Amino acid sequence: MTSPPVGLQATAAPATTTVRRPAKTRVRLADVLTYGPLIRALASRDLKARYKQSALGPAWVVFQPLALLAAFTVGFRAVAHVHTDGVPYVLFALAGLAVWTYFQAVTMVATGSIVNNYPLVRWTACPRLALPLATLVSNLPSFLIPGLAALIVAGVAGYLWVGTLLLPFMCVWLLALVGASAILLSAITVRARDVLSVVPFMLQVTLFLSPVAYPTSTLSPVLRALISLNPLTGLLDAWRWSLLGVRPSSAAVIISLALTAIGVVLAWRTFARLEVRMADEI
Amino acid sequence: MDGGSLEPAVVAKDLSKTYQLGELLRMETTLRALVRRASERSRFEALRGVSFEAGRAECFGIVGTNGSGKSTVLQVLAGITCPTAGSVTVRGTVLPLLAVGVGFHLELTGRENSFLYGTILGLERHVIESKLDDIAVFAELERYFDTPLKRYSHGMQSRLCFAIAMLFPANVYCFDEVLAMVDGEFRERCLAEISSLAATGSTVFFVSHDLDQVAAVCDRVMWLDGGELREIGEPEEVVERYNRHLVDHAET
Repeated sequence: MTSPPVGLQATAAPATTTVRRPAKTRVRLADVLTYGPLIRALASRDLKARYKQSALGPAWVVFQPLALLAAFTVGFRAVAHVHTDGVPYVLFALAGLAVWTYFQAVTMVATGSIVNNYPLVRWTACPRLALPLATLVSNLPSFLIPGLAALIVAGVAGYLWVGTLLLPFMCVWLLALVGASAILLSAITVRARDVLSVVPFMLQVTLFLSPVAYPTSTLSPVLRALISLNPLTGLLDAWRWSLLGVRPSSAAVIISLALTAIGVVLAWRTFARLEVRMADEI
Repeated sequence: MDGGSLEPAVVAKDLSKTYQLGELLRMETTLRALVRRASERSRFEALRGVSFEAGRAECFGIVGTNGSGKSTVLQVLAGITCPTAGSVTVRGTVLPLLAVGVGFHLELTGRENSFLYGTILGLERHVIESKLDDIAVFAELERYFDTPLKRYSHGMQSRLCFAIAMLFPANVYCFDEVLAMVDGEFRERCLAEISSLAATGSTVFFVSHDLDQVAAVCDRVMWLDGGELREIGEPEEVVERYNRHLVDHAET
């Protein structure tokens, strides 16, 4: 026999009683509040793993929006002569890119966040919702870097105004919209891997169907109405209004706020329904 | 078994679990469903009306052939999957070790993986940190604890896994056929540790094909056969009857 068993002092009296029984749903909103430490641990795992054995590592977070910015400036400004309501094009596009690169980065990673953690889902009781939520955290650099750049440039160029104080609200809105899509996509992927094939090209299409590189004011009324149905449109409008004082389309803002609210509820309900059988269906 | 019979840690009542067999979705069936109604997929009843109780400070063994429902019992118990019918009442926290290396990330160090695992179990930071050194010692990985797991051998990964599964505090531990992955002196230490977990008030569920191990470690043993309960009783007796059953079936 070796040294005395290490676990001797353990085993406190059971604190909680749990009943496992057939259920349509079992996650509760109150549970989500306790996920904080787990979300942080998963996000830090993903961040550490992402840049291992990579020469430039985190620098890629800077290059991606920079490259898009350069491409936009050539494609939309130099070729298509897009007018941006008196704001320098580069600043206009940079503000849009902060929202877009975050949405893109999270969506790319979140979609597979549950199926890629197959062992955790199959063999542990790891709360499944923490997996897509962790991608919101681990991809924050994709938002913070272009976002801060836009804020600084806007400040230097003298665009900041009272409305900029509402920027925190815009960030919460962005998180809610991106979070809803992350939760929904990750949950559906468990049952139908089709989502993994759809998301990359849908992202490419969405980039052109969202006013990231152009303002909706350049569009015909019909196109403008159609593009307002994209939940990102109103968010981008409101975001630029807050940062640069560009007049938003109020219809688009209202539609986007409503779609975000509907999206959050829909994502939660869908996730809760699918969560019960994830270990069986993954 | 102090008070185990008075207030069982785990009570399973008429537990049933049905799985659907075959692929969940495929293009062929989708196309066929467009033309006419899709045919019902076949079902597999992994558990049929299984009831049992396990007390605190008890090591509860489960034996049975492959597909008899042993793992399913543990998965329902740990809250990984829901039962199709019946219920399990669990007092306290459950720590499942159902496969070796689960949830480990190869780019993270032993320390980081231990921390992540503890967080997944829902343990608080100070509890995890107070156990990290013990884990490194138990797994004999003190020198390698800050090395990424991809540099570990299989044996080192298994040892880390066991150390984590046995040293983090829980009220109910589940070990599913995992001791087969380690050998020799370390296996003996694991068995001693499992016994001491039960001795200090935890409930241990122990699934193994090594019947001598089951008889040596467990206080009671449950025999599952095709998802149904055959019997629950004294380890030596159940194991002997189960063994005889195996031999009889091997002959026929």
